[in-house]
Amino acid sequence: MIDVAASISALSMLMTSLTPWLIVIPGIIIGLIFGATPGLQISMAMAIFLPMTLYMDFLQAMLFLTAIFTGGSFGSGIPAILMNIPGTSSAIATAFDGYPMAKKGKHNEALGIALASSVFGVLVGYLILFMMIQPISLMVLKLGPSEMFMVILWGMTLIASLRGEYVLKGLIAGLVGLLIGTIGFNEIGMARGTLGSFYLFDGIPVIPAMMGMFAASELFRIANKQFIVENKASRKVELRKIGQGCKMAFQSPLVMLRGCLMGVFVGAVPGVGSSVSNLLSYVETKRRDPDPDSFGKGNPKGIVASESANSTSEAGSMATLLALGIPGGGATAVMLAAFAMHNITGGPQFIREQTDIVYAIIFANFAQVFFLMILGLLFIPLLANIIKVPMRYLIPTVLVLAVMGSFGLTGNFVGPFTVLAFAVIGWLMRRYGYSVPAAVIGILLGAMAEKTLLHTYQISGGDISYLLERPVTLAIIGLLLLSLFGRHLLALMRFSMHKMSAAKN
Amino acid sequence: MNKPRYDVGHLCMLIGLVGFTLWYLSDAIRVSFTVPNLLLIMPVAIAILMLALAELLMSWRGGKLFEAVDDEPVREILPIILLFAVYVLSLPWLGFDLGTILFVAIFLRMKKETNWYWVIGYSVGFGLAIALFFALMLPYPMPMTFLPID
Repeated sequence: MIDVAASISALSMLMTSLTPWLIVIPGIIIGLIFGATPGLQISMAMAIFLPMTLYMDFLQAMLFLTAIFTGGSFGSGIPAILMNIPGTSSAIATAFDGYPMAKKGKHNEALGIALASSVFGVLVGYLILFMMIQPISLMVLKLGPSEMFMVILWGMTLIASLRGEYVLKGLIAGLVGLLIGTIGFNEIGMARGTLGSFYLFDGIPVIPAMMGMFAASELFRIANKQFIVENKASRKVELRKIGQGCKMAFQSPLVMLRGCLMGVFVGAVPGVGSSVSNLLSYVETKRRDPDPDSFGKGNPKGIVASESANSTSEAGSMATLLALGIPGGGATAVMLAAFAMHNITGGPQFIREQTDIVYAIIFANFAQVFFLMILGLLFIPLLANIIKVPMRYLIPTVLVLAVMGSFGLTGNFVGPFTVLAFAVIGWLMRRYGYSVPAAVIGILLGAMAEKTLLHTYQISGGDISYLLERPVTLAIIGLLLLSLFGRHLLALMRFSMHKMSAAKN
Repeated sequence: MNKPRYDVGHLCMLIGLVGFTLWYLSDAIRVSFTVPNLLLIMPVAIAILMLALAELLMSWRGGKLFEAVDDEPVREILPIILLFAVYVLSLPWLGFDLGTILFVAIFLRMKKETNWYWVIGYSVGFGLAIALFFALMLPYPMPMTFLPID
């Protein structure tokens, strides 16, 4: 299960040079800042700083991006606790009990609980990843193009259906994204949707499009605000009480472990990730607790459940990215882009041939846990101040970074123009309830989806019965249908059972 | 907040998405009407058209066709988008240094920053620093007005 030689090689990669570590600390700080600032997403931070990884080798680039991811996963809990504003969607459940604790004057303890749970979550998540990455890659080796195509579709469907009331819009966004992703030359050398421009022969520049949709469009949306948060009183922080909170987190070890396990497995499902895992873990903890009514009123277990799950999801989504080459969410989508920038394709072959690099990424994340603990404690008071930065300074700064970063990626004005076009599209999509992450994942996976479908067609010779010989494909189709219609099916079953019991009575 | 009572944006967006889908499908068919070329595009396009029709009917029936989900005031956001568009589109002529300085300064004034020292100091300081940073980092020339191109 564990490749010892690769482990030794990975350790020597990390120990013989200081260089990889020099970018980990700034990465965690960037993640903390972006995570802690509502409206600035972790994926946004990664997309903005992605051009910088051009000047790093692949390992450094991955360490930098995972450091942002790790920092962001905790950072997003800070405004959720202090201001009832989740920094990112992965900290929604943190706010459920974190903010009531803050209102009771226990915000320091709540921050400590969040920090300890996040740190423990990242540690457990990467430990599981370390032990399971080889079996996962072996399992994935048995997957053919038809299974990969169905996984892509399933992942997109899951993302699209996250916002329950807007499933249709989510699906439309994902599918339109998929079409946009196929613009340019395909595998058989045909150029579609290029308008005759050679700039589009290679397709839409994905990273600038992502910067526009994730970062710029969100900034437009919050541009009318003077400050993200006006209330100063909620930002006072005491380190001693944070330490007490850290201890409190370990008073609920079962909740923490359950959160970690849910986080890693839910995080591994493409398209789901930490946005869902924190909610699932919270709901499950509340359901199992002897006093479920105390949740939502400041129960520390609520924070433990949410934060342990959202931070563990990082390792889960990394498993999918490394083993399948498919992003689990926005943040890993940016990492996939980093893979492409370094001419690396994630997947079983990558894991088999570059096991030492995979292990080095995992080992570095163990170390990141300690950096996160220290930096988290040091930066909590400072991060509260960043929230005081007026939006009129924050917005142009981030927009300029996105524009210059995109120019750096494409080497011409196609990058900035793409940022602009997709920023407007993204803003319109947010305004009318169309899922931006679904569209982004669609754009990213469009070409891959077409390639895997084409390979399936070539292998099967166009015979649809080929799918019947692929049980895994059929199972994924089943899961896809379940994620689309499961809720309706469950409601129908409940309704018929209710009707039957009423008839009996 | 300032949610408009009658917002045709959603309908326009649906029409735009359907229009793009139809145009892209027709372009793909024009290139080659073969199975390998249309294997993904055709079914996806048909699915989008069907879903868009379903969305149109459901929104209309639910009285939500002319409603925005997000209630941020458009009147305050549109000038920002316009300013950003002008900034990006004028970069080839203004250069990254001057363009960024003007963009940040105008943005600050638009958002009612009254302290001129801050407006000028931050826009010039940040604009020049960030343009210089990228110019030094990138291996290709960036259009500039004040700073050296290479």
